[in-house]
Amino acid sequence: MSDQAVETRDLVREYKGGVKAVDGVSLTVESGGIFGFLGPNGAGKSTMVRMLTTLLRPTSGTAIVAGHDVMKEPDVVRRRIGVALQDAAIDPYMTGRELLRLQGVLHGMKRSDCRARADVLLGRVDLEDAADRRVGTYSGGMRRRLDLALSLVHEPVVLFLDEPTTGLDPVSRVTLWDEVRRLNVEHGTTVFLTTQYLEEADQLADRVAIIDGGLIVADGTPKALKARIGYPLLSVVAADGSTPDDVARVLAGFGEMVPGAREGGAAVRLPGGSTAMADAVRALDDAGVRFAEIDLAEPTLDDVFLASTGRHLAGSDDATA
Amino acid sequence: MTAAVPVIRQTAALAWRSIVTTMRLPQAWFPALFFPLVLMAIFTASFGGAPGTIPGFPPVRSFLDFAVSGAIIQGVLIGGTTAGAAFATDIEGGFFDRLVASPTSRTSILTGRLGASITLGVGQALLFIAVAAIFGARVDGGAIFGARVDGGLVGIIVVVVIASLFAAAVGGLGVFLAIRTGSGEAVQGMFPLFFALLFFSSAFFPLDTMVGWYHDVAALNPITYLVESMRLEIIGGATIWTALAGIGIALGLALITVGASALALRRRLRVAA
Repeated sequence: MSDQAVETRDLVREYKGGVKAVDGVSLTVESGGIFGFLGPNGAGKSTMVRMLTTLLRPTSGTAIVAGHDVMKEPDVVRRRIGVALQDAAIDPYMTGRELLRLQGVLHGMKRSDCRARADVLLGRVDLEDAADRRVGTYSGGMRRRLDLALSLVHEPVVLFLDEPTTGLDPVSRVTLWDEVRRLNVEHGTTVFLTTQYLEEADQLADRVAIIDGGLIVADGTPKALKARIGYPLLSVVAADGSTPDDVARVLAGFGEMVPGAREGGAAVRLPGGSTAMADAVRALDDAGVRFAEIDLAEPTLDDVFLASTGRHLAGSDDATA
Repeated sequence: MTAAVPVIRQTAALAWRSIVTTMRLPQAWFPALFFPLVLMAIFTASFGGAPGTIPGFPPVRSFLDFAVSGAIIQGVLIGGTTAGAAFATDIEGGFFDRLVASPTSRTSILTGRLGASITLGVGQALLFIAVAAIFGARVDGGAIFGARVDGGLVGIIVVVVIASLFAAAVGGLGVFLAIRTGSGEAVQGMFPLFFALLFFSSAFFPLDTMVGWYHDVAALNPITYLVESMRLEIIGGATIWTALAGIGIALGLALITVGASALALRRRLRVAA
């Protein structure tokens, strides 16, 4: 057994017509963490997940999941992974409890174990009250939580969640995040999560890879990725007779000026972060420069995405709302 | 290696799930019961005078006796279409992926669905016989093993066996179409074709009253011989050979369609995974 939950080498999936949905991805995901696979629609996230979960045969390359090759030992991989796929429909005419027990049988668990496990999981995703209601009556958030519980029936080592919160309202999204975090911390389950939401990757993942056009364009901790973009940006707007030039003269002493970043004021990259911001405010005061607005913007994963691909991530407004 | 997960338990669990979802969805089971029964009633009312007056009509106590086997075959056909559409919906909706990404045996994905079709087919056959019995038809039992069987039990068994094998055949066809098209609507779209197949058989009228090419087509339609075999059990005149002919044809059809669906499933899984 290796310490890697997922290890791919030059993984490629080519569809009919020569379109390469995944175009040579080499990725290592350490056991024990939450890995965020971030990218816009059509970037290759789902294709990647389908290959890692034995649903799709790679055109070339290798993928080791939970210590086993997805091509050579798919059955062993299937026993060790949990899968909650994007928009997977759940039988609307069955109850949550029935579906959990069925999933247990399909995993070869004893009848009594299936029952007990269903009860435990219903409690964990807070669906006890709705357990005997048909899934058709569930809200979107409840369905995703049931979907999560279904993927946990056999206590998988690695859990794959394909866009688990897409289409959910903010409250349901946060509830699901909490559940995923708890799963990771309390049960040590490695989570491989795809998302098109920057905030989700930022909040949940301890490591993020950004995929675009079937290629990994950035890979690291959210902090490291953002640091690579640069220092936080301090912008100050002049007021009460002070001019943007007055502001710029003072700020120039604190770092690299970013021309045009702030209308009616000036902006500077602050290597010293928020500590330096206090110094800058004091310096402005001392110089008698008056200002109205001041803010310090940390680089976001959208900046990382922009720097890596030259585009903004679609849906990023949605995620930060 | 881990021990193989028992296929039989998985088959039973998946069959149970298919039956439960069918029974809880009125649109899924209602047409398969309603249309055959209504048609049986309409034909019995319309052609009640046919036996004994129309040349070529077999000797029969009432048209109802004559109509039961056609209704069973029709019900099984409708049920099989619904089963195929449900399988396609599983593929479209992601349930199929959930199965494939789990250690569920590939065999039980197919046998679970067919097991449900067979169970529902048996239920339909028994229900239709019961309904017809209430309104006056009786299973005669014919002369199987050269003896008249008390209560027609052997006759009922033969009818049910043919119905269940035909249910497997239609279910297999439904699954095959579901895998190849991956669309519930496409499978439902095949329904008029099945219905035409039914009308070009002796399901509703005897072969001997048909004329011209219509007669020739019906005479080539395997459904004709399934219906005839079941019908003789009900109206009398069955022998072990007519029973075996019906069972054999139903079994043959089932082997062809279930085999085709197994190959389609294997191909799909090989291309995909």
